[in-house]
Amino acid sequence: MNEFLQGGLYGGGIIVAIMTSLLFVLWTERKMAARMQSRIGPNIIDPLGFLQAPADVLKLLQKEDIVPEKADRALFNYAPVLGAAVAIAVAAVVPFSATIVGADLDVGVLYLLAAGAVGVLPVFAAGWGSNNKFALLGAMRAIAQSVSYEVPLVLAALVPVILTGSMKVSEIVTFQQNHHWLIVWPFFLGVPAFVLFMLAMLAESNRIPFDIPEAESELVAGITTEYTGMKFGLFYMAEYLHTVIASAVAASLFLGGYDGPFAPGVWWMVAKTFGMVVAIYYLRWSLMRFRSDQLMALCWRWLVPTGVVLVVASALFVVFAG
Amino acid sequence: MAVSETPPVVAPAPSVRTVDTGTNFRHPLYQVLLETPGLTVGTAALDDLMTWGLTNAMWIFPMATSCCGIEFMATAASRVDIDRMGVIVRATPRQADVMVVAGTITTKMAPRVLKLWEQMPEPKWCIAMGSCAISGDFYRNLYSVVPGVDTFLPVDVYVPGCPPNPEALMHGMMRLQEKVRRQRKGENVVPEVKPELLKITQPSVPRLTDPSRPSEQSHQQELSSDDPTTTEETAALVVPAGEAPTLAPLVAADFEGLLGELGVATLPTDGPPIIPLAQHLELARRLKAIGYKQLVTIAASHWPAGKGRKGADAAEVEHYEIAFAVRTIGQGSRVASWAVKALPTEPVLTLSGIYAGADWQEREQFDLVGVKFAGHPDLRRIMLAENADAHPLRREFPADAHAAPWR
Repeated sequence: MNEFLQGGLYGGGIIVAIMTSLLFVLWTERKMAARMQSRIGPNIIDPLGFLQAPADVLKLLQKEDIVPEKADRALFNYAPVLGAAVAIAVAAVVPFSATIVGADLDVGVLYLLAAGAVGVLPVFAAGWGSNNKFALLGAMRAIAQSVSYEVPLVLAALVPVILTGSMKVSEIVTFQQNHHWLIVWPFFLGVPAFVLFMLAMLAESNRIPFDIPEAESELVAGITTEYTGMKFGLFYMAEYLHTVIASAVAASLFLGGYDGPFAPGVWWMVAKTFGMVVAIYYLRWSLMRFRSDQLMALCWRWLVPTGVVLVVASALFVVFAG
Repeated sequence: MAVSETPPVVAPAPSVRTVDTGTNFRHPLYQVLLETPGLTVGTAALDDLMTWGLTNAMWIFPMATSCCGIEFMATAASRVDIDRMGVIVRATPRQADVMVVAGTITTKMAPRVLKLWEQMPEPKWCIAMGSCAISGDFYRNLYSVVPGVDTFLPVDVYVPGCPPNPEALMHGMMRLQEKVRRQRKGENVVPEVKPELLKITQPSVPRLTDPSRPSEQSHQQELSSDDPTTTEETAALVVPAGEAPTLAPLVAADFEGLLGELGVATLPTDGPPIIPLAQHLELARRLKAIGYKQLVTIAASHWPAGKGRKGADAAEVEHYEIAFAVRTIGQGSRVASWAVKALPTEPVLTLSGIYAGADWQEREQFDLVGVKFAGHPDLRRIMLAENADAHPLRREFPADAHAAPWR
């Protein structure tokens, strides 16, 4: 079969799978949030509320599409599409099993960090293109936050790279299969690096407790202030995509990826990813919002030095104990 | 209204607005599908599906201004949990479907509410929650309140109550869903009937101070009777008839001294000392110098000419009485208050150069009473709508404020 056709079909399959899983993830978050606030959550549409997300999408599709008169039309219209595309692009290098991997790049870790960093651009485009002061302020905050947290993210991702000696994500997983999951041994490097990675990933996705870019009490709705209907839906989707894919990446780098007994690898990958998603939502709905300066202080005073120490320690560990 | 000395602030005549009720909106994609031949059955099913999506994901824009807003929050909280019907509260009008007007809308707020409504994308609906949003309720004769939001918004559902409880709002949402379903099927939907208004009149219950109030009478008799069982404490409360109590003027010594220096010798016992207008600013400056650093309040009242006014001195001319109060800061705080009388033609000098807090206080008195403070840096309206053209606390302002022309 033609290589490109195969790649296209495969990529399409992955995207459809992730999008489908989003419906379930959305349901999980809504129900979990409700339970944590001692509510019930959607249960009138059907007893379990599974149809709530499809109903939301149907409604968003029917809404009037408003582009503000003085907005930059091109930036305004392409930003949501770009946002969703960039979020899903990271999934290309994640191995969902030994055989299911989109592009097993030699510089896989570098690629996923780079693709994640590009995610700032649609946010900036949306904020600038909306020609709305709240959107612009939200975008400014989001960019400051994302660019700052890029540093601990890279440092945390460097730890598995140094420990396994490879930037290829599949090789990192294979290494963990043959030795230990990085979170198990060396745990004094794996656990802090994992926590650091998750914190930075949470901050990158701009959600609670790092959701100051769309603090509704100050900034209406941040960058999405002017977006109606499905354009807003795409932004919303990009956030969830980001959470799911960040979880998959963390599972691959630290939790052994598709490694696990009894069941085929892909099920282990799904289980680990979903476990990570639930953990993130648990954090998200039990913590409150940081202030902007607290956020920056956390990054530059604590996470970055920790990251540097971890990277140096992993290098020493590889030289003397590995 | 004879408010000759007040200049009109900003009074452009409000143009007649036509409000789009949102029933004519069709998504372009939907139109294409409708025009494709052979898809009648399919489009009917699709239409049902779309309506199902639309009615089950109604996101609310909360236009909550008063106590109804609290009930609105309770609707979203755990007891009723409006999220069960898929309702999310969005802070931006761009992503909302239903505007819930919960609370009194003032004339100053109304243009902003309309602006937010116009920013919402079609299809959109409006719920008037609570008596104030429906009719203005007992504020409806007030000079600053809109008598019902349906005067400028197309209201779909009225949720009566003061405030309505959360279940009532949820029922309102369900009625809205039903309305949308029937509308989308092409049925003729009768507009919801506005709830009947209560006729609020002056209550016939006698006031507490009314001597004709029966319980009050018996109580007074009981106190003043020569009942031997009256204890010493209750006896002390009885004021002997005929003897007016002598009250010493409660003025701090330093303030009294200052007044003496300015030539105000006799202090009145029934109110603040009245200062000649010329010494007003000097008094404030010296009070601040001796430690009265905080301005408490400025309160003005308007007195029309006494001629023909019941119980008034016929020689009295139209004037303002303006009371000022300042205090020292810290423990054992002392308050100094004084008043000035000014004819409408006499300029009252502003205190905003001495007390920064006087700026807004004076703007308020200008807004409501119409006192023009001379030398004020920014004497604009602060509370009423920009297009208001009268000062409602003046005596000649009619009590029936349907006359307030800017509403």
